[in-house]
Amino acid sequence: MSEGPLRPAWPGGGEDAAAASGQGRDDVAVLLNRVGRGDEEAFGGVYERVAPAVFGLAQRVLRDPAQAEEVAQEVMLEIWRTASRFDPAQGSAQAWVSMITHRRAVDRVRSAQAAARRDDRAAGTPARGYDTVAEEVEASMDRERVRRCLGTLTELQRESIVLAYYGGYTYREVAGLLGIAAGTAKTRLRDGLIRMRDCLGVT
Amino acid sequence: MMAARGRPGSDRGSRRAELHTLAGPYALDALPPRDRARFERHLAACESCAHEVRGLMETAGRLADATAAPLPPGLRERVLAEAARTRQLPPVLGKSGLSRGWARRSSWPRIVRPAWPLSLALGRPLGRPLRLGLAAVLAVAALAFGGLAVVSQHHMSQLQARDHLLAAVLTAPDAKMMTARAASGGTATIVVSEHMGALAFSSAGLPALPDQMGYELWLMGPSGDHPAAMLPAPQHGMTSPVVATGLRAGDKLGLTVEPSGGAPRPTSTPILLVAIFP
Repeated sequence: MSEGPLRPAWPGGGEDAAAASGQGRDDVAVLLNRVGRGDEEAFGGVYERVAPAVFGLAQRVLRDPAQAEEVAQEVMLEIWRTASRFDPAQGSAQAWVSMITHRRAVDRVRSAQAAARRDDRAAGTPARGYDTVAEEVEASMDRERVRRCLGTLTELQRESIVLAYYGGYTYREVAGLLGIAAGTAKTRLRDGLIRMRDCLGVT
Repeated sequence: MMAARGRPGSDRGSRRAELHTLAGPYALDALPPRDRARFERHLAACESCAHEVRGLMETAGRLADATAAPLPPGLRERVLAEAARTRQLPPVLGKSGLSRGWARRSSWPRIVRPAWPLSLALGRPLGRPLRLGLAAVLAVAALAFGGLAVVSQHHMSQLQARDHLLAAVLTAPDAKMMTARAASGGTATIVVSEHMGALAFSSAGLPALPDQMGYELWLMGPSGDHPAAMLPAPQHGMTSPVVATGLRAGDKLGLTVEPSGGAPRPTSTPILLVAIFP
């Protein structure tokens, strides 16, 4: 298989993408089952389907292609190692993979920036502003449906989710960046995500 | 975990309600460690929260998909090659359920990951990570070689026994790591201790050479070019570390292709030339 812009596993754009997207998910879950039994060919199939989103998410959070590549490699190997523990009853393969990816990316951001961030906060300057994060996400977000659903949120819900998920900030940091109470950030993250869930038709 | 016995508005009741709101930040990995632990304890006893978290994590997964990007060249090959030599975990047997499932961070399986000093990638001094000891450093060195080949305990003890000098360089308090790309392709990882006047050098992915040729390492400085070491034959494309001592201010590190017995003077243009003390 050649490198390059591979087709993402879950096209997700437009209404008729639902069927294809459901198929993609089942597909990966089935492949993961084979990967759990040591099937390297199936692992190649999983790579093709999930790696673009793994790398893309790591890059979005880390903002550094070299580090994103390292994280993507770590994540893919973790998928290989732990495929036998993936349980489709608990969620989709896609959610499992994104969870692993996001946690790794965020762990890295937080360990690397812990010191710098503390200093920045003390000085009252956020390490990264909301505008930068939001612009990049909105500029490159090619999944129309996600964009449309983000658009149905209140501004505060959207800003909170974008900062937390794509920016890798904790809810306390989100609160600090947006100048709102920590409790408010928590609730906006929850009710915003619930609204996203319903808009995307996630069951 | 606490029972939901508190009257609405009581401390317990509001604490519980407050815990529920953590489902959002939890699904987005936006909880600091303490809150996360608290929420996970709650999750184990709260079926409706577990259900909500599942849905919210699916939603986060869609946010992830929206970021799909073209992949860097070569990543697929590296991943597949690394997988082929990585042992898989057996399945977990027994009762399933979110509380003991993959969505719970504390039970999230991790690959063996040495403490990852980000300063390596940035070329900053290695102060903190190096205090973690040789094991971490060697593991990191292995990572820096472009793979996730974690140095095995066995290999590490062999290495330690074989070369105390190497261990001393790698664990020197002032050790700095740098990486450099060779003009011919391949990368070098260099750990320098200015205080010891010594460095450790290893490489990955240098082009293979004919039998009678080898890579020679040089210290090239104001006082001339001094041979430092011949690189050992590569294994899986990597050469194990060699140590060069006697570094002086102004020295650069050079790598040339020479007859396998070594040459007293470089006979070819260095494929790598690195300033050691910038």
